[in-house]
Amino acid sequence: MDNRKGILVCGEFAEAKLAPITIELLGLGRKLANELGEPLSVLLMGSKASGLTQETIAFGADNVYVADDALLDQYNSDGYTQIAANLCQQALPSIVLLGHTDVGMDLAPRLNARLGGGLAMDCLALSIDPATQLLASTRPVFGGNAHATMLAKSARPQMATVRPKTMPPAARDDSRQGQVLPVEGKVDPSAIKVKVVERTKEQVEGVKLEDAEVVVSGGRGIGGAQNFAMLRELANVLGGAVGATRPACDEGWVPVRLQVGQSGKVVSPKLYIAVALSGAMAHIAGCLGSKVIVAINKDKDANIFNVAHFGIVGDYKEILPALTAKLRELKSG
Amino acid sequence: MNTIVCVKQVLDPEIPPAKFKIDAEAKQVIPPAGVPPVISVYDERAVEAALRLKDKHKGKITALSMGSEKAADVIKHAIALGADDGFVLQDAAFENLDSFGTAYVLAKAIQKIGEYDLVLCGRQAADWGAGEVGSILAEILGIPVITLASEIQAQDKTLRVKRIVSDGFEVLEAPMPCLITVGSEIGLPRLPAGPRLMMARKKVIPIWRAQDIGAEPTKLDKQNAHTEVIGLSVPTRKTECEMITGATPADAAAHLAAKLSKLI
Amino acid sequence: MSPVSATYWGVPGFFIFWGLFAIAFGLFLRRFYFLFRLVRLGKPENRFDRIGQRITSTLAVIASQGCSLKSVSRTDIAGIGHAWMFWGFGFFLVGYIVFVGLEGGLGLSIPSAFERVYLSILDIVALFVVAAISVAVVKRYITRPARLERKQRRKEKIIMVSLFTAMTSLMMLHYCVEGLRYAAYNLSSAPPIGGVLASFLTSTGSSSATLLGTYNAIWWLNYVLLLGALVYTPHSEHLHPLFSPANILFKSLGPKMALEPIPPEEHAQESFGVSKIPDFTQKQLLDLLACTWCGRCQANCPANLTGKSLSPREMILNLKEHLLDVGPELLAGKADADSMIGSVVTEDEIWACTTCGACQEVCPVNIEHVHKIIDLRRNLVLTQNKMPESAQLMLRNMQSRGHPWAGIQSLRLRGDWTSDQELKVLSDGDTADTLFWVGCTGALVERNVQATLAMTRVLKAASVDFAVLGETETCCGDPARRAGYEFQFQMMAEQNIEVFKSHNIKEIITSCPHCYNTIKNEYPRFGGDFKVVHSTQFIADLIAQGKLKLTKDLKSRLTYHDPCYLGRYNDVYQEPRQILQAIPNTTLVEMERSRNKGLCCGAGGGHTWIEEQPGTTKINQLRLQDALGTGAAQVVTACPYCLQMFEESIEHKDKKDSLKVQDLAEIVEAAMR
Repeated sequence: MDNRKGILVCGEFAEAKLAPITIELLGLGRKLANELGEPLSVLLMGSKASGLTQETIAFGADNVYVADDALLDQYNSDGYTQIAANLCQQALPSIVLLGHTDVGMDLAPRLNARLGGGLAMDCLALSIDPATQLLASTRPVFGGNAHATMLAKSARPQMATVRPKTMPPAARDDSRQGQVLPVEGKVDPSAIKVKVVERTKEQVEGVKLEDAEVVVSGGRGIGGAQNFAMLRELANVLGGAVGATRPACDEGWVPVRLQVGQSGKVVSPKLYIAVALSGAMAHIAGCLGSKVIVAINKDKDANIFNVAHFGIVGDYKEILPALTAKLRELKSG
Repeated sequence: MNTIVCVKQVLDPEIPPAKFKIDAEAKQVIPPAGVPPVISVYDERAVEAALRLKDKHKGKITALSMGSEKAADVIKHAIALGADDGFVLQDAAFENLDSFGTAYVLAKAIQKIGEYDLVLCGRQAADWGAGEVGSILAEILGIPVITLASEIQAQDKTLRVKRIVSDGFEVLEAPMPCLITVGSEIGLPRLPAGPRLMMARKKVIPIWRAQDIGAEPTKLDKQNAHTEVIGLSVPTRKTECEMITGATPADAAAHLAAKLSKLI
Repeated sequence: MSPVSATYWGVPGFFIFWGLFAIAFGLFLRRFYFLFRLVRLGKPENRFDRIGQRITSTLAVIASQGCSLKSVSRTDIAGIGHAWMFWGFGFFLVGYIVFVGLEGGLGLSIPSAFERVYLSILDIVALFVVAAISVAVVKRYITRPARLERKQRRKEKIIMVSLFTAMTSLMMLHYCVEGLRYAAYNLSSAPPIGGVLASFLTSTGSSSATLLGTYNAIWWLNYVLLLGALVYTPHSEHLHPLFSPANILFKSLGPKMALEPIPPEEHAQESFGVSKIPDFTQKQLLDLLACTWCGRCQANCPANLTGKSLSPREMILNLKEHLLDVGPELLAGKADADSMIGSVVTEDEIWACTTCGACQEVCPVNIEHVHKIIDLRRNLVLTQNKMPESAQLMLRNMQSRGHPWAGIQSLRLRGDWTSDQELKVLSDGDTADTLFWVGCTGALVERNVQATLAMTRVLKAASVDFAVLGETETCCGDPARRAGYEFQFQMMAEQNIEVFKSHNIKEIITSCPHCYNTIKNEYPRFGGDFKVVHSTQFIADLIAQGKLKLTKDLKSRLTYHDPCYLGRYNDVYQEPRQILQAIPNTTLVEMERSRNKGLCCGAGGGHTWIEEQPGTTKINQLRLQDALGTGAAQVVTACPYCLQMFEESIEHKDKKDSLKVQDLAEIVEAAMR
């Protein structure tokens, strides 16, 4: 156990760029690594990873492991688990960090199941416990009603997935030095039991929800798919995107990818307008990072008013059109 | 096809946030009185996924729940929805197990049941929400795993699974037996409605203890826990909400617009 | 000499008379038997209990025309017209039997004294009938009240015109036959109008042969018209004279709005409730044939009054048309019955109903609309898993939380209201004689909790020894049952009965009329027989016994809103009014629609949770107008739902300055101090 050392970040990239979450993890990992006085390594998987090694080092990595394998170009659970587990067994990191992303949510528990470590998912804060020098991971539990801090006393590696946009991105320093290490061994195709047979990108019109500076979200109180047009109109005027709560997505009123919340997307826009949604903690978990939250709800006791900065009690069907018109007027005038 | 669904009984996640109390010392949540625990939301969807497959392909659904004796209620819920059978896994040794311990107990119970084509779990529990029991369980059982499914189809001995990802969706194929964790994307669960509702209420749900499933005590030893909770707190978020009013809803909206236009 | 005794073209009149009668009666019976078999398509239902009582009360209500007169109001006097026509035709029916049947058909001689007197009566009666017909014609074709408006099929238009024409013709023919008879036979001391006609005909100087010939011809015409009516009626859409009496005979004698459980022997079925004609009971199918199209149900339906798609009349008539359309094939076994939901009755119609029972209350022929709607809901919910999203949410909450309120929407927990109160809260093993059953809304919704607390203070002030269940109370099951979620209701009923028995409860007081109706009228079917008292009855009793004194002068003008489940469902109209009148210096003013004609608040039948469909207005806003119209400063009610609905409409219409809504217990408490 004591021969384990260092922090390993499972990096993600797309279209020859490091994913924002990976840059955030590098910032966090660097900090923790400095505290422990241990190295920070990054694992990049896929045949196109080699072009990113310098950038990864610039963002703080001491070592970059590259698993150059065409079978890893697309995320697949079995292949990634195999390679990452092999590396962990060889490099013996003490801490493994992943993003709480599509990849991380799938890979982290599988990797941990294979390695037998201690995993905390969807962490909001990570630190080194001063007494034990162990990784203390704080994560929301009970639908965001409470925060729990976890420790892995003996299981190794200590693992965590980190919620996107909760950590500041690492500063880039192109003068940094580090080493690039190839990962030995290729993916064993016979171990890939689950095959990806189709992957379809759905084009999002307008601004992407995750990147939007303004998000207008609707909940169960919206009452139907066609009523979301009102939210879209408001979002258009503000140059923002539309989001929704889980119940609204469940109803099929909007696609699931617009879901904001603990089991959906986490957004942190400048302005978050919550329309006809009661404010379940699991939803609030996805928008709490917003600078200003506005709530519009019929029920004056709705929980959303507890986290909002501005509120209107009333029927959104009467309020939204007027709000949209007024904002349009103010914008043009 | 035979399906095993793992379900958990949790504190009702829809209790008013103001009623949510914890014991920070014991690192436990204090359930408010008079609030019946419910089936974890994602687990209910896992049952729904199982029912949809049964609607098409027949077969048998068995529900498993590790928890207190009251967990019989969630098994009854699954039976009311259409599961054929169910067992509660209850033993003092099972209390406060971490994900590895839980997965181990479930695996032993599944091995006792024996024949299965598919194991379904919710993507995570609605209480502690570790989100890794399914993956560990599959690892122990040595079967392929697909997480966060939004649609499951079966053909011969192959499962075809749709999975929503942030920029679209992907379709995966896996041979049976297989473990799948289910997200809320699968859609609303049906309402338990028929006379099964009454039949289930009266049903006696068998309880399996550690020795019934042959669980080894060392595997249940809390000293070997992979993770441990060292702190529990209720996050404070006190925001002063400025209520905006007006003579008419349109008036209030205009006042709000004026405020917002300064912010953006 | 009767025209029957003559010979026509060598054929004796008797042959013609009985020949025609045999053909007509045969056709009548054939059709009637067909309609009888249509009714038999339904599931059997025993409505032959207390048959003696049924027969006498049916005869009484029909003979007295109580059925049609009960609906008479200042604005609608059609019921009087119907009574005139009914009594008039009653006299004529006797006249036809005597003068056409006995005298003509059987050749008996009728004493001339009787003849004169009876014909004189008919002369006058015919005037009344014609007058009533004229009013009806004016009403139907000129003034046209909304309840009679209908997109009629051609067949229906024809039957209406023929009905009016035939009735008028029969009256005219009566005079003609009479006049000609007295003129032709030159009889003296004729009845008044017949006499005038006879002298006129004599004065024209027509020969007696001409008069006799014309008399015979008109007599036969009259006879043929009568037989024509006999044949046409069962073949037409106007079946009510044939089936309404039977419908009144087989009306429900129990608590009128209590629903039937799904019997255990049907639990193994794949389909529940009603989606096809054979799913209805025989009485329900009889209902369809009995409808008179009078439209009173529609005129009193809160959903219809606020522009929703539901019209109870249209629903019944559409189902009737469907029955007549598909009946022959079903009887022949040629076709399987199709689902009516979506085609004959829409889901919107089914969910718009608030189960307020106003339709059944005014229906002259005891049609049970609400029961059918619940049966249709049962099919949607239990078999098809189809319901409005808000209904599903409510039912889900009932299922998982034991009450219909959503978790985070309600900021309270069930037992919260008892904290800081000195109350006897029952725990396992405790017993009590009298239980104050609070109900979900009274325990969970802030505004209603105030009314609940007021009630506990009233009870304490009167030194009533009572207990409450606190956090262990669950829903009575009513919202689930009214939404068609029957098995959940049955489960809750059984559970609650177990709880009551475990605490040895003898008497249950409740402030919620929905709980009251359910526990009082519906739990007995599940083995729960308890004395159930509504808070208004209990308080009225305390005042009568002198245990509660209302001494404080409230100087208020009040109006009382009748909760449907208290008034129409259980006939409790008097006690709440007695209480309000017992308060010094208060004036009780009635709304235009009150007591059994009271308009629903909009929340019954699960509609506290099921979202109201779009219409011209909301039901609670329409009811608010009624209350505002009285000029009262306060509207008092005795139901948590009504309280909520009024609070909401007052807030929405911004009428807080002119009207305040209070629960009766709150008023009583205020008048005590």
